[in-house]
Amino acid sequence: MTGRRTLELGVLAPAAVLGLLGLASVASARADAFETGPLPGAIAVLFVFLAMHIALRLRAPLADPYLLPIVGLLTAIGLVELHRIDPALAEDQAIWVAVGGAVFVGVLALLPDHHLLERYRYMIGLGGVLLLVATMIFGTRINGSKLWIEIGGGQTVQLGEVAKVMIVIFLAGYLREKRELLAIPTRRRMGIPVPPMSALGPVLAFLAAALLLVVVLNDFGSGLLFFGVFLAMVYIATGRAWYVGIGAALFAVGALAIYLAVPRIEARVDGWLTPFDDPQGQGFQLVQSLYALAEGGILGPGLGRGFLVTEQGTTVIPALETDFIFSAVATELGLVGGVAILLGYLLLVQRGFAIAMDANDGFSKLLAGGLTAVVGIQAFLIIGGVIRLIPLTGVTLPFMSYGGSSVVTNFGLVAILLVVSHRAQAERSREPAPPPAEVEPARE
Amino acid sequence: MNRSIRRLYLTIAGGFVALAVLLGYWQVVAASGLEDRSGNLQTAQRDRLIDRGRILTADGTVLAASRARRVDGQRIFERVYPQGSLAAHAVGYASEQQGKTGLEATWNRFLAGSFGTEPLLQRLNLSEKKGADLHTYLRSDVQRVATQALGAQRGAVVALDPRTGGVLAMASSPTFDPSAINTDFASINTQPGAPLLNRATGGTYPPGSTFKVVTATAALESDLFRATSRFDDTGSFSTPGGPIRNFGGRRFGEHTLRAALTNSINTTFARIGTTLGAAQLGATMSAYGFGERPPIDLPENEVVISGRRRDGQLLPNDENGADVARIAIGQERLDVTPLQMAMVVQAIANDGTLLAPRLMQRITDDGGSVVRQHVPEDLGQVADPQTAAELAGMMQNVVDEGTGTAAALSGLSVAGKTGTAETADSGRNQAWFIGFAPVEDPQVAVAVVIEDTPSTGGEVAAPVAAQVMRAALEG
Repeated sequence: MTGRRTLELGVLAPAAVLGLLGLASVASARADAFETGPLPGAIAVLFVFLAMHIALRLRAPLADPYLLPIVGLLTAIGLVELHRIDPALAEDQAIWVAVGGAVFVGVLALLPDHHLLERYRYMIGLGGVLLLVATMIFGTRINGSKLWIEIGGGQTVQLGEVAKVMIVIFLAGYLREKRELLAIPTRRRMGIPVPPMSALGPVLAFLAAALLLVVVLNDFGSGLLFFGVFLAMVYIATGRAWYVGIGAALFAVGALAIYLAVPRIEARVDGWLTPFDDPQGQGFQLVQSLYALAEGGILGPGLGRGFLVTEQGTTVIPALETDFIFSAVATELGLVGGVAILLGYLLLVQRGFAIAMDANDGFSKLLAGGLTAVVGIQAFLIIGGVIRLIPLTGVTLPFMSYGGSSVVTNFGLVAILLVVSHRAQAERSREPAPPPAEVEPARE
Repeated sequence: MNRSIRRLYLTIAGGFVALAVLLGYWQVVAASGLEDRSGNLQTAQRDRLIDRGRILTADGTVLAASRARRVDGQRIFERVYPQGSLAAHAVGYASEQQGKTGLEATWNRFLAGSFGTEPLLQRLNLSEKKGADLHTYLRSDVQRVATQALGAQRGAVVALDPRTGGVLAMASSPTFDPSAINTDFASINTQPGAPLLNRATGGTYPPGSTFKVVTATAALESDLFRATSRFDDTGSFSTPGGPIRNFGGRRFGEHTLRAALTNSINTTFARIGTTLGAAQLGATMSAYGFGERPPIDLPENEVVISGRRRDGQLLPNDENGADVARIAIGQERLDVTPLQMAMVVQAIANDGTLLAPRLMQRITDDGGSVVRQHVPEDLGQVADPQTAAELAGMMQNVVDEGTGTAAALSGLSVAGKTGTAETADSGRNQAWFIGFAPVEDPQVAVAVVIEDTPSTGGEVAAPVAAQVMRAALEG
């Protein structure tokens, strides 16, 4: 079934054309001279995606054909916008895309079957926790948050990004193992069915860990992301909405306590509720983001034509290249461009969940669903933050924000999704009528 | 499990719909409201890309212009003020950090090129924004003389063309250089004397005896008095609020209304005010524009309403139970701007018809064609022409033989009235002169105030007015 890969190549081509058109738009906005500087970099990125495509042809020919082109389009727009903000940022990012491509190919080459991950779930989970603990202990504080570890030469890595994927793998294995226990409560307390402590304990432990993360790393975004993904996976495993409800309520109570106790978090929330009260101080970033969005209007002036960088070379919105990359794109491409990006992520999420639904066993479903939830929730958190739907959290926008750890991790994440996708198809074609590998939990 | 996954997908999709809706709100619905907020770097940048129109005097002197410079492949413009502080308060400034004031603010739409069909074409990228030129009534010679005559004294001068309402000069001292607003705003703003304040339109002072012109107008219009009406001054006029005496304790004995104005006799005007009553005097005040913001083309917050105030609150001109005797001689909570007093003399000089004061004479677009032309705006008849002529004659006497002799111009007939209002500091006055010239064919009406001086209006304000009127008539 190389038809899927041919389809993929066919969809990758327009994504590449769009990326190059964006680059041309930025170049033409600089009226002085048509610059060819970014062209070698752009071609290199094209080759990276071509390499990923070939790796899929060789190792996972039956995998979903739309995932890679969507990732390609988001990456391309991100690179163009970074190039427009500062060409040096795009050069860095292109190198990280290449590294991410290598990781992607590496995953396909070394992980023929993702069930291997299930076997090592505790080791992987422990590894994820160790990465987070290492960040807590050895981390460097940047902008008040302790998310980075210096690895020499002024370079920093965000181990939390990698830990995110590892913990999803662990949870997929753990929940697959315990889902019956969790799904079928044995007792009732005040009319509420309560699962046995042996199953509930780890859930509460995870909740506590997520809150600890917020306090120690001073990173509300990661805490929220971890817990959101956790609840999503519990819901996939058990199908019980009230788990999610109780979990969310507990987290909300914990978050409220933290809001009252940690000044930085309090300031962030206040900056969200009343940004225009202090437009030059606490509210500056968000207010300028909204001004930029308003200036973009429906169609926007076009890539390279918005006002994002001042005469002094600073960005109009602080952290434009990382947290506020979506604002940059929506400013220059207007509402139409902004909604297109939203649709891009939604399509990515849709493909991811389709892969999960297509999978033949519980572990695969939980793994694919969890990884997809990571991307979807993370995109929602940061975009919602920069357009003032929710308080601003410092998580990256997958595939678009500047930052190596994020790009590399997310490319690896997509590779795992594609392996799951390929396996499901391969298993099905081997056994024409497979018995359902997983029985749905009995429902009351 | 698939059911849970599908529901999870729908939940996340719902979140994304919320994102799209809110994004649309910011980018479409709320966009225009955000545009006007101060501190909006996007709007500031948009301003920078516009070749903003010039502001010129009637004689073609450039007061404000734009200078282009290339940054990062883009042409951006900065505002320059080639004449420095000349007419700085009227011109105002257009600054990224400090906003816009004066004409720069009032006529911003035209200066920034957003008029006619332009905004639509610009939205469709069919037309580049190019500002229109603003030609004022200001005359650089008159303006320069007004500024120099004020010199280091604090005060203001307003000179109007009584036939059009056009502002020939508007000076306020101390002044500032609009070119320095971006770099030195903090130090300019904290300098003693508040140089940023436009005293001509925003400074309020008790009018003192200049207000007797208003009382005289009411007297003549009432038909109860004529210029020849006779009065007997005993040196004191008793009122419920205590006796009113003359300046320097003088007694004038038998005299006419004409002589009362010439010699600025307080007791007689207090008597007239009492006879007329609050309603009649108030009606004349209203006709002159007291109690309403003068409709000049400057931002509202730079133009203060003249009238009576209690605790900062404006009182009605015809307030019942007011001490009319004291209002009639320009006391009793009266606070007026030089612009308002210039309007008073403008009306008298223009056969009794008050005109809207106006800085903008015409606006011309890029190609030089006129897109807006000022047509004198009639604000109503304050006095009929005979009354106005009678008042003019009485005011001519003031300059010829009364308190205003220092305003006399050789070979020309000048009408005027002095004023000296005492301040809280004894021995310090707010010195006034209002007048116009020539009496037969008035071409300039002027109001001068000098703040906080030991001298009288006749001593310090009248000579300034004389210089300004001479410059206006000679040019």
